[in-house]
Amino acid sequence: MSDTFLWYVTRGAGAVSLVLLSGVVILGLLSTMRVQATGWPRFLTTGLHRNLALTAVVFLVLHIVTAVVDPFTHLGWGALIPFTSYYRTFWLGLGAIAFELLLAIVITSLVRGFLGHRAWRAVHWLAYGSWPVAVVHGFGTGTDVWAAWFIVLAGLCVGAVLIVAAWRLLARPVNPLHAPQATFRGSVQKRELP
Amino acid sequence: MALSLGSEVLPTMQAMTYDAKEARTNARDAAMRTLNRLTAGVAVGAFASVGVLAVVSAATIPGTSAAANTTAGSSTGTGSTTSTSSSSSSSSLQASSGVSSTTSGSGVAVSGGSHP
Repeated sequence: MSDTFLWYVTRGAGAVSLVLLSGVVILGLLSTMRVQATGWPRFLTTGLHRNLALTAVVFLVLHIVTAVVDPFTHLGWGALIPFTSYYRTFWLGLGAIAFELLLAIVITSLVRGFLGHRAWRAVHWLAYGSWPVAVVHGFGTGTDVWAAWFIVLAGLCVGAVLIVAAWRLLARPVNPLHAPQATFRGSVQKRELP
Repeated sequence: MALSLGSEVLPTMQAMTYDAKEARTNARDAAMRTLNRLTAGVAVGAFASVGVLAVVSAATIPGTSAAANTTAGSSTGTGSTTSTSSSSSSSSLQASSGVSSTTSGSGVAVSGGSHP
């Protein structure tokens, strides 16, 4: 095994994690918009969002473990503590923060039944901070920042998330009780008129 | 009359309800199969992508001979005078072309000023 093998795996896993996390954010946004189609029920979006998030954590762990145990970089486990690493302290610290935020989101999602919806939702909002921090970490720390393949990959991820986020912001908020509420209000008004 | 109508309509309603339930169950099962397939596909694809991107990353890392080869390969023929002839073998180190020559003449001493 080459001494740089782990270093290459770290970079590959980092790029794949970026793609997976972008997919998770996109699916999360789509699930809040209650997107569905024929053959694509809403729970499919939610289920894929959850499964993709767990897969992303696996690849993030691969990214981190290969970076830490790699003798080429010799980062050490201290790199998991934000802003303590000797190597690109700030950018690596952002990566540690993004990972820990994601870990908090995943753990609270797994024990959602014990937490209650409000607390879970409050923690889940951290996802909107975790993804951009991870992207900035990738651009700041990444050895491949100026490689064409990474620019294309990161550009596609950022572009896709921005488009769906804009769609989410511009779309009217979906209220699942809108139709029954309107019917109820109409009925009440009809009874009050005479 | 009403009883006979009810007895005729009831089995039809029951059949419709049963069909609707079965259709919903089938649709749910199909969606679950889609979810499992998508998840497995994403996981396998992601593992394959790590390998592919690791190789691509190794080939394009700045400062390595592989990256130099890639750069040379891509830049050949782009211009009339810019064909890069890189010596990619690591064993042949090129000597510095710059020769440090001893200059004769008086030195210049600068006085005054100090850094804070």
